[in-house]
Amino acid sequence: MSSILSINNIAKSYGPIKALNGVSFDVPQGSVFGVLGPNGSGKTTLLGILMDVLKADSGDYNWFGGMPADAARKKIGCLLETPNFYHYMSAYDNLAITAALRGHGENDRLRVLELVGLLERKDSKFQTFSLGMKQRLAIGAALLSSPGILVLDEPTNGLDPAGIAEIRELIRNLNKQGITIIIASHLLDEVEKVCTHVAILKRGNLLLHGPVNEVLVNEDQLEVMAADMDALQQAMGEMPGVKKIQKADRTLQLSFNNDIDAAAVNSYAAARGITLSHLYIKKKSLETKFMELVGTEDKR
Amino acid sequence: MIALLKIEWLKIRKYNTFWILSALFIVLLFTWNYLIGSGVLKLGGKDMNLLNTNYTFPSVWENVGHWTKFFSGLLAIIIIILTTNEYQFRTNRQNVIDGWQRAQFFHAKWLIVLLLSIIVTVFTTLLGIGFAVAHGSPIGNMTEHMDRMLYVFILTMNYFGFALTLSFLIRKSGMTIIIFLLYAYIIEIMAQQLINWKLPSHPGDFLPMQCSAELLNFPMMDMVKTMMAKTGPSHNTLMLVSVGWIVVYYIIGRIRLLKSDW
Repeated sequence: MSSILSINNIAKSYGPIKALNGVSFDVPQGSVFGVLGPNGSGKTTLLGILMDVLKADSGDYNWFGGMPADAARKKIGCLLETPNFYHYMSAYDNLAITAALRGHGENDRLRVLELVGLLERKDSKFQTFSLGMKQRLAIGAALLSSPGILVLDEPTNGLDPAGIAEIRELIRNLNKQGITIIIASHLLDEVEKVCTHVAILKRGNLLLHGPVNEVLVNEDQLEVMAADMDALQQAMGEMPGVKKIQKADRTLQLSFNNDIDAAAVNSYAAARGITLSHLYIKKKSLETKFMELVGTEDKR
Repeated sequence: MIALLKIEWLKIRKYNTFWILSALFIVLLFTWNYLIGSGVLKLGGKDMNLLNTNYTFPSVWENVGHWTKFFSGLLAIIIIILTTNEYQFRTNRQNVIDGWQRAQFFHAKWLIVLLLSIIVTVFTTLLGIGFAVAHGSPIGNMTEHMDRMLYVFILTMNYFGFALTLSFLIRKSGMTIIIFLLYAYIIEIMAQQLINWKLPSHPGDFLPMQCSAELLNFPMMDMVKTMMAKTGPSHNTLMLVSVGWIVVYYIIGRIRLLKSDW
């Protein structure tokens, strides 16, 4: 896949605080790219720079292989931080401004309003909208005249669970149509469910980036117990395929090189004369993995 | 340019505050001039009136010109509100996100300043012609002292440009309005008097807004005027300085908008 966005060594400080510290990565065309990190990790700063509302101290980026930045932005649908609209104008009139700025999409307004469930409220003033409706309108505006790229910063903010599910579905569908989507989120769940690629930021540093199934590998563990724990530990240590053994309380936690085969462990122990009193596959959630990666000092 | 104005028009079209303030300006400026011309509004004691009530050519230009200056603070507030609204709603960011260059946002606002100045100048000119004709002045004498209308244009460009630049710098509507009014109606007048106090060359007349204000002096009755001999810089110098300040506002605003975070 060719890249639709290249970010090259972008740095930005707010006084003594380094918001971004030499971040570089590429976003492949057609991907759903998650920019993941806890609050304050620099996600919004990065997107702000990419959309030219913030100025980077150093580094550069290019969209669509080097298109002029303002021309590129006209082809990008973007929701950054908050839904920004003219309070005294209706949803429909606000979208007219979006369309005029982009240079296209004026006749597409009713379609996107229907898509985000605001068709009936199209003539209501923006200031009368609830937080969720404002967010929907912002997503609608981003979708005006089917942009090649969608950039969404915390798109499910303020939405109820049904709304969140709808947005997730919408993102999947749009991606199927070939639209590249960049999502910033502190919610791993959101990223895990829809993203194909991910970049993980912590305090302005890029920790990891790449395809989700490479970066966020699930590491399940097997928890075992027996009457003679020493013998069990020795036996497990000799079993092929066991990567790591950790003692935890009165159990052993086993990690494997390949997929876990609980039955093989059981019969291997039995062949050695050890009867397992406890055998349990422990799913190590991505959440735990993520917290390990980005975990803050004050945690635990 | 037309495309920028078209988008600004979409923003203003449904903005009631804009239309109400504009209507107030039109109605008040007309009524105020009408009442002075008909001798109802006076300055002075019982039978005295220091105001120039002569609304025939050429002195009508001096009258309407000055009173437009008097009311243009109201329109400067419109500029402030239109600009600081963008910061309050964060639509300045959205405009750029949706494809404007930062400079286009900046120029769109300056185009509003330009357009509003033209409209005010044209309105004041029509007002002057209307009053003069109504007071029985032959239209043939119209052009004498009509350069006052050029001063109106320069003054409004200066005032609105100043208000715009303050809005870019301060960004908060309430604070910008207060600082604008304090500066325009109190601080600069004090500063002017203080600077001119011991200096015969009147450098205080070159302050940002004062240089344009001096172009449209208070319309005293003719007798009082002859008693107060005019001193200070010539109109040409004042015009030049005014244009200089407008350029300075443009440069300050441009640097601020192009270099800073939004």
